[in-house]
Amino acid sequence: MIREFSYQAPRKQKELLDILASERENARVLAGGTDLLVNIRLGLQHPRIVVDIKKIREHTAIRFDEKEGLSIGAAVTINEVMENRDVQKHFPALVEAAKVLASHQLRNRATVIGNLCNASPCADMAPPLLCLDARVEIVSDSGRRNLPLEAFFAGVKKTRLTPGEYVERIVVPPRWADAGGGFRKMKRVRGHDIGVLSVCLTKKGPLRRVAVGSAAPTPVLVGEFRGRVSTEEVIRKAMRRINPIDDVRGSAEFRRFLTRRYVAELMKEVR
Amino acid sequence: MKRAEAGEPVEISLRINGEKVTCRVPPHVTLLRFLREYVGLTGTKEGCSAGECGACTVLFNGRAVNSCLVLAVEADGANIRTVEGECRNNRLSRLQELLDKHHAVQCGFCTPGMIMSIRDLLARHPKPTLRQIQEGIEGNFCRCTGYVQIIEAILEYTGQLKKKGELKRVRG
Repeated sequence: MIREFSYQAPRKQKELLDILASERENARVLAGGTDLLVNIRLGLQHPRIVVDIKKIREHTAIRFDEKEGLSIGAAVTINEVMENRDVQKHFPALVEAAKVLASHQLRNRATVIGNLCNASPCADMAPPLLCLDARVEIVSDSGRRNLPLEAFFAGVKKTRLTPGEYVERIVVPPRWADAGGGFRKMKRVRGHDIGVLSVCLTKKGPLRRVAVGSAAPTPVLVGEFRGRVSTEEVIRKAMRRINPIDDVRGSAEFRRFLTRRYVAELMKEVR
Repeated sequence: MKRAEAGEPVEISLRINGEKVTCRVPPHVTLLRFLREYVGLTGTKEGCSAGECGACTVLFNGRAVNSCLVLAVEADGANIRTVEGECRNNRLSRLQELLDKHHAVQCGFCTPGMIMSIRDLLARHPKPTLRQIQEGIEGNFCRCTGYVQIIEAILEYTGQLKKKGELKRVRG
């Protein structure tokens, strides 16, 4: 049984911002609902008002152009990203990560931005978007600001969003278009379980970026490497940046092992 | 905009298996509960209520979704298909007949959701490969472990089953 709340589905961003400004902490943004509705049912969140953002047309847009890069709106689902021709052509790392996020019917509902705003350490879309240097565009009734994704995560299930704000879209800069990319994720059951550990690596020209999921309170950008760099060096830096814990899905040592292994595999594979 | 009280019912209007339905429903009621308790369509089952088991899968504007993770109010204006839409004039659909023929139904709890996932799969891939079938139904748990039978039924439905029992030798 879910607790009672009221529901609004504004069609204009202005209405949405007014609701968020007046309701503050009492309002929760509803996109795919695959995290929010579970959390409400479990009693982890108690919104008085649930604001559905899917009726605002701009939120459903996914666009690519060579000047601005890739823009993904707040209501774009994981499957829509995966099926998008431009994403398939220019951002292979995103497609690889999207493919192994939960199950097909979850991906039909879950949104990319919801996955980021839920801010789980294991958010599957985070490592590729960290590697692609995505920026998060945040809007409230008093204006807009944007943050690099790395600075958006504040802790386990915590972001830098303040009451009254929401994420309108994310933008991947054009300099990372056509980067080679790979994603590895260990999970216990295909199609069901959340990840034990994931690593993403992107490479464009002399630049490489590496990110790790499920190995610290937030998804971690290991860093950007320029020119010739040895696998050992990348692994050493990754080991310094991650801080895994033992939990029901695996031990900290297993997570370090997987990080070494996946980084080594991706250093070989992504050219 | 009028501010509604928490729990106050909202009028929604949608199509379910082609039929127009208009109803007042409180916002916290899920699409799953709405179908079962407000419309009386109890074919769709509740399993885990967390989007993991797929027993509650329905088609939402043609795409498979977990109806336990959708609010009924979100379905205002939508086209919903459930397992009840399979049957025509009290006769099983061909897909249902083949699931029956291949003994792909044991306890039957996963079957309504499984059928809707198969419909979504076939809309995307009319002749799915084994891998595409496995990926298409990976969000649907069958605890009687009848996946081989289900996959064989799908292969026969799409005219791809060469020999009954051939999948028993496939691993992984």
